[in-house]
Amino acid sequence: MDDVLTQSYEILGLMPDASLREVEQAYNNLRALYGEESLATYSLLEYADRQEKLDALQAAYEKILSEKLVKRDEPVRPDAEPIICRLEPIEVSADPRETPGLYLKQLREIRGMTLRDVAEQTKVGSFHLECIETGRFERLPAPVYLRGFVREFARSVGADDIDAVAESFLERYRQKME
Amino acid sequence: MTEQPGSAQPIRKPRVWAVGGGKGGVGKSVITTSIAISLARRGKRCILVDADLGGANLHTFVGMHNPERTLSDLFRRDVDGLQDILLPTRFDNLWLISGAKALLDMANPAHVQKMKVIRQIFSLHADHIFIDLGAGSSFNVLDFFLAAHEGVMVIMPTPTSVENAYHFLKAVYYRKLKRVVKSLKAEKLVDEVLAEKVERGIRSPRDLVRDILSVNPDIGCAIATNMKLFTPRLIVNQVRRGEDLDLGSKIAMACRDFFAIDIMFGGNIRADERVLASLKARRPTLEMFPDSPFADDIERIVRVISPSTEYRNGRRAYAEL
Repeated sequence: MDDVLTQSYEILGLMPDASLREVEQAYNNLRALYGEESLATYSLLEYADRQEKLDALQAAYEKILSEKLVKRDEPVRPDAEPIICRLEPIEVSADPRETPGLYLKQLREIRGMTLRDVAEQTKVGSFHLECIETGRFERLPAPVYLRGFVREFARSVGADDIDAVAESFLERYRQKME
Repeated sequence: MTEQPGSAQPIRKPRVWAVGGGKGGVGKSVITTSIAISLARRGKRCILVDADLGGANLHTFVGMHNPERTLSDLFRRDVDGLQDILLPTRFDNLWLISGAKALLDMANPAHVQKMKVIRQIFSLHADHIFIDLGAGSSFNVLDFFLAAHEGVMVIMPTPTSVENAYHFLKAVYYRKLKRVVKSLKAEKLVDEVLAEKVERGIRSPRDLVRDILSVNPDIGCAIATNMKLFTPRLIVNQVRRGEDLDLGSKIAMACRDFFAIDIMFGGNIRADERVLASLKARRPTLEMFPDSPFADDIERIVRVISPSTEYRNGRRAYAEL
């Protein structure tokens, strides 16, 4: 394991054998702890130090995530059944190309799933799922991870065209962030 | 009235608690008094020391109107020692050393005088001694906090209280660090590391100790070990909303990260109108409303922090809260 990766786990306060779920949880907790609106760290850190702390958290999280996602893409058993079975297509009012976040939210609700259910299936944290639904782009990770998140989300709620949803979401992300 | 904790008693080392936390009006005195009353009821001999010189009113919290002897008598040398200003209260097993009538210039007693009082506090015969510190982070307050066996910080879930608590904690931390460094004769080393603060990227006490450790492992290790012994307790008072329930554990987490110290979260105390009602009636809440949420929470905290519990459960007791 390289130094940066070891350090990344340290920053999240985890052991290197932590699961993706634990990583998500630690990242979300620490982000909340050091967020600007956090009461628990109010006045503890200077503004610049707080930003640096948040940046370090983000970098550590992305580093671990990239490692984990690479590993997950390697098929363990090439003939294994996909875990998530295909759902019957359902029509919702939102357009996947116009408002992909809302589209995913409507699909999720119509299927009677909570954010937690989706998080359980996709292993994407419910904080990020909610940010995808509400279009809080600034809280989302870089496109290279985000694409996977949106695809997993779309798959789990049985979206018609997973690629189209992911594409249009990322397009909106780039428009907002660049 | 039980017998006075005088010198005729078999020698027993008291456990000395100092209650501070930076901000006034967060409930330090109410909580200190209540914990002492609760322990006194369990048969522990407790002494309350009102060290909030200049703003002393602990006597009112135990329903005493006009304390006949106070610390000012000691400072004026009208009496010989703390023993002589010990006042019985109307509760069994509970005595008070009042800070009332201390003149403004006594709010900052000379170092020698302060050290004398601290020494005497430790030689009083009791099971528990609670020092109620004033607000703020003056050297006076810091020294009492550091001298005690147990330092307790009381905060409220408000930004102003959290801000003052961190200010207080930083002040106490650095005062202790300075002493440790001095005792190790490591001032030069620490100054050298601090001179390169920016280059080294030192942003917190944790970073500082880490860098001292890398420059001089022996001294760094001694400093780290000493600072690890600093484990103040934290009580969050006037909790109203569910989201504030984990404020204490979050602060403990942030302190581990920033200071590399362990804060022991002692528990939450719910906001309770009856506290104000009992204050107005000048009666302790525990006596007037024994079944109130406040009384419940105090009893729970006492169970957690009293030594017998510690002995049984070790530190796990804090984690379970």
